[in-house]
Order: sequence, then C-alpha cells, then structure tokens
Amino acid sequence: MEVRKATRQDLKRHNRLSLLRAVYYGLADNRAAMAVATGLTKPTVSELAAELIAEGFLVEGGIGGSTEMGGKPPRLLDFVPDARQVIGVSVDGLEVRAVLVNLKGQAAAEHTAPLGGKTGQEVVTLLIETLNGLVAQLDAPLLAVSIGVPGVVDSEAGTVKRSPLLGWYDLALADILSAQYNCPAYVANNTELAALGQVALGSADVREDYNRVTLLINDTVEVGVTVQGAAYHRGGDIGAMRYLPRGQASAVPLVDVLGWRAVQQRASDLRRAYPDTRLPAKGLTYLHIRHAAGLNDPAAEVLLDELAAVLSIAVVWSIALLRPHTIVLAGQVADLGDLLITRLCYHAAERLSIEDIAAVHFTLASGLNLSARGAVVMAVHKELEIL
Amino acid sequence: MALKRPILGVITNFQHGVFQRAVIQGIKQIADLHSFEVIVDSIADEDAPPRPVSLDIAHLGGLVVISNAIPDEQIRGYQAVGVPLSLISHQIPGTTIPAVVTDNGQGMARLMHHLVVECGRRRLIFIRGLSDQTDAHERETGFQREIMRYTLDLPEEFMIDGDFSPETAARSMRALIGQRRDFDAVLAADYLMGIAALDVLTEAGMDVPGAVCVAGYGDGHESAQRGLTVVAADVIEQGRRGARQLMGQMRGLTMRGVTVLSTHLIPRNTTITPQ
Repeated sequence: MEVRKATRQDLKRHNRLSLLRAVYYGLADNRAAMAVATGLTKPTVSELAAELIAEGFLVEGGIGGSTEMGGKPPRLLDFVPDARQVIGVSVDGLEVRAVLVNLKGQAAAEHTAPLGGKTGQEVVTLLIETLNGLVAQLDAPLLAVSIGVPGVVDSEAGTVKRSPLLGWYDLALADILSAQYNCPAYVANNTELAALGQVALGSADVREDYNRVTLLINDTVEVGVTVQGAAYHRGGDIGAMRYLPRGQASAVPLVDVLGWRAVQQRASDLRRAYPDTRLPAKGLTYLHIRHAAGLNDPAAEVLLDELAAVLSIAVVWSIALLRPHTIVLAGQVADLGDLLITRLCYHAAERLSIEDIAAVHFTLASGLNLSARGAVVMAVHKELEIL
Repeated sequence: MALKRPILGVITNFQHGVFQRAVIQGIKQIADLHSFEVIVDSIADEDAPPRPVSLDIAHLGGLVVISNAIPDEQIRGYQAVGVPLSLISHQIPGTTIPAVVTDNGQGMARLMHHLVVECGRRRLIFIRGLSDQTDAHERETGFQREIMRYTLDLPEEFMIDGDFSPETAARSMRALIGQRRDFDAVLAADYLMGIAALDVLTEAGMDVPGAVCVAGYGDGHESAQRGLTVVAADVIEQGRRGARQLMGQMRGLTMRGVTVLSTHLIPRNTTITPQ
C-alpha cells in the first residue's frame, strides 16, 4: 500500500472531524469543552467551530452554566442532523431501492424502481433516473451517494469487479455517480452493507468482541461478516458456490436452490406433485410458504425443508470458521420466520455438535432497505466519521 | 404589467375530501416556493357527475394526478407529449412516470402487529375499499399477508365490502353481526369506514374495545374526535414530494420510480393492550 505524508489539508480535515465527533457523541457542547475533548488549542477550536457553524453542521444554542472558577458562561453548540442528506441505494436482481436520510440515519423518503430484467449499461441509466427521483426531493445539500450491489466489489477503488446478476464487470460505478451528482460516491457489496447497517442503526449488539454473520437471500445468496463490532466488515456473493445434493451425481450452485426464482420454480413443481397444496399458483411469497407449512401442507413442508437443508451448509461453515455470536437471516427469506430457524438448526446438527449450534443466536431481518441504510452508514462514516 | 406565473395543474376527484385537501395543500406549499400558480381540476365531486378534464394541458408547467382520478391511458397520452407528471397514491405499471405513495403494506403490518401482538386479537374482520383503487388493493393484500404471518383463521365472510363509503361499510357490518359475532377486531381500509363500523358495533351493544377492537387506515379530525386507532402517513408531505418531483423534471431531471412514505401508529381508545 502506498504511504503518503499527511498534508496541512489532511490535518485540518482531521481536526474538523474530531470537533464534529466530540459534539455528535456528546463529549462536548461548547468551545472550551471541545478543546479539552480533542486536545486542540482554543484558537484552532474557535476557527474550526466557526467554519462548522457557517457550513450548517453546528448551531449555537443557549448559554451554559458558569465554570467553577466563576468564568463567563459558554455559548452551547449543537450538532445539526439535517445539515446534509445522504442517498443510500441497494440494487438487487429485481429493483433499485434508495433512501434519503439525514446525518443521524433518519429517513425522509424511500424511492424504488423495478429493474424489469435490464442488465449492463441499461441498469446504470435506470439507477441514475431512480436517484434523480430523490435528488429532486432533497431538503439539504447532498453529502454523498452510496450504493450496495450484489457480487464482488472493490470498495477502495469504487469499482464493481463482477456482478453477473446486473451484467456489471469492472464498472467504475463510484466515479460515474460522483461525476453525475458532484459529490463523493461509495460502492460496496450489499450484504456487507446490510451487516454494517444493522450494527450502526439497528438493535444489534455492538460489543467490541461481537461477531456477526449476515446471510442475505433474495435473488442472490450473499454473506456479510462483521467482526469485533464494526471493526472489520466484508461481504460477498456465495450463490455460485456448488454443493452436491444427496443422491445426485452433479453439484448445484446454492443460488439455484435458494434464489427466489428457483424457489418459485420448485413450488411450481411441487404444486404438480401435490395438487391440493395451499401454495398459490400466482403471487407466491415466502409468507404463503410459511403459512402453508404452519398448517402442515406437505408441499410447503417439503419446500421449507429443502431450503433449510441447503441454507444449513452456509450456516455450518460460518459457525465452524467464524464462531459468530449471531447469524442473521436477512432479505425476504426472513418471512419464513421461526419455522426456518428450527429446520435450519435441525439440519445444521447433522454436521455440527448441538453445543456449537446452541452457542449461536439466530435472528431474522426482513427489512427491504437494510443494504441501502447500510450504504448510508458507510458514506456518513467515510465523510464525517460519525454514525 | 405583472408577469403571468407558470401553472401547476392538479387533477383529482372530490377536491374537498380530507385526503385530497391535504395533498393539494402540500402541492401549493412547494408551488408557492417556486412562484407557481396551482389550478385544481376536480373532475368528480359528490354533488356533480364525472366530467372531462378542463385544464389546458399544453400550457401547464407540470401536472399532478391524484388517486386514479383519470384513466391510465389518458395519463400516458400526456406523458407522450412531454408534460412533466407526478402521480399521488397510484402508479401506472410499465411507465416511468414518478409517483408518491404511502407504504400501505407497512401500514397494515403495523396495525396488525398492534391488534394481534399488542392487543391479543385473533379473529379479525376486514372492511375493503374500492376494488379498482390501488390503495384499496394494497391494503387488502397487506392485511392478507399479515393474516398469513400470524397464522390466523380468516373465514370468507370476515372480508366485507365498504367501497370507501361509510354507508356501505355500516350496511355490511350490520349484515355481518346479524349472522355472527365471533370476532374480536375490525380493521377498515380507511378511517371513515372504521368510524361507521364503530357506530354499528356500539348501536348493537358490543363492547369496544373490550370485546371488539376497531382500527382504520389514515387519519383525520373525525378519527381523532372519535378516538379511533389508526395508522397514518403525512399526507401533506405526500403532496409536497409529488410537487418536488415535478419541479425536478422541469429542471431537466429525467426520473422514474415511486417514492414511498412510511406510516405510523396512532393508538387511541378503540383498541386496548392487555395489562
């Protein structure tokens, strides 16, 4: 990695962000306290605080209490969450989903558009047209655009290395979006962002020694890992990973069983074998499968069991390699509810000890915008080192 | 001579309805900011039959259409001649016309969570809206999804017609309680039908919320006054966002997609949480 000497500008940026963080996290609410919290001199604090106020990140509020020495009461400073907005986006095989969010992660609006089977450059055009729908609704200057995609991403370079689902290969997406919207842009894997978003915005445990694996299953099968809180996070598409089904001669990619299109196809096959099934011919959802399985519908039970058996492969490897405290089943598959977790544990117990499985806490996260919100977290963290 | 202000057109039904009034208020707020005049063409009102659109479309800066007020084909025609468009509370599949809707699915999920998990209700009646309206369809679909999520039993006769009309809802509710009373909650696709159901249940001597919880979708002063539990989105904001979509298009932004606004629960006297 190339090592570069810090410039005066780097130092100034570092100092500004230190001050902003001190106020954001409640470590300081006036200039003197900011100097104490950051170790910066009072003149530097004064100059940078004035800049942050002028740019709208901080606002002067009331008057604080007198110091113990009876000094002049300080002018209080507050962080302004609505000073900027960020657009977080996720693209999967079905749609573009974007959220317009302030600096505390509070969403003002969500905007979606179906992909309609488009791939390649057409998806880039559709993505920009969808983002324009939110850009028209900005309430504050745009801080950054941040996007999660399925597949392999080089986040540092802002490049999508390989996303077969979208037909993107070596696409400099961050550069495209940055040029389009004249602001910084970031790109990462969808599941990595979903994992990050849960830690930063959700109810997730953020203890420093906490490890979490997120399995995101929609039209793709992806895994995101958060090790030691959010200190390390990585994600990737594992849908192409092959496994050998019992009694079959050739291996099958995970996505050919777990991906939503495959699930729909399998339900259709089972409908022929079980004509009285409650699984509908049109408009099937995971909730239909859950409901029917709950009523002991044989087709739904077979389908649920097959999904759990294949998903358990990813779960078992995750447990064996990472010893996570929590495994999150994310995406629409979470609508299968506790029935999925029960069957998953049953199948995992065929390969791992009961104790190993019992040590893991399984949870479900069905929010459709997990990755988009994670994208916001990444952008705000990169730009302002908060959230 | 004063310069003529550019015009935003709004096509709606029932411009004085609670929902429509709030949407138009939001549109006007944004229009004022950009010095646009707003002209509302209410093509169907309670005291008048539907009539053709009277706006001079060619001279509009942009057009907002509220809740399926005119046929999709007509709207497509406006798009074809380059009129900036935004749709409120409906969408046209297969087009790029942007829209602003409330998240009916999330709203129904929130109401059902309240009724089933927080209030412990298991046998729910649903009062439907108008079958050809997007909101009605999405709320009904949302209700049925949640029925599946909680594995509840839903007899066919527990889905009753309301057509977004309090009179129709009251008639259907009376017919149902004439036959059976083995339900413990009523959920209406809009709050006015919810109030109508509340009146019928009270007239029939049924204990609300002790025996039957009642809730509805959307909010207005009537529901607040009657203590009806509801979920609601900020409807004025819906109008504001639709107008901003138009302004964006007029600035040259090519856009597509649907802006979805979340709803929040407003618990009131007609539902109860067990102690």
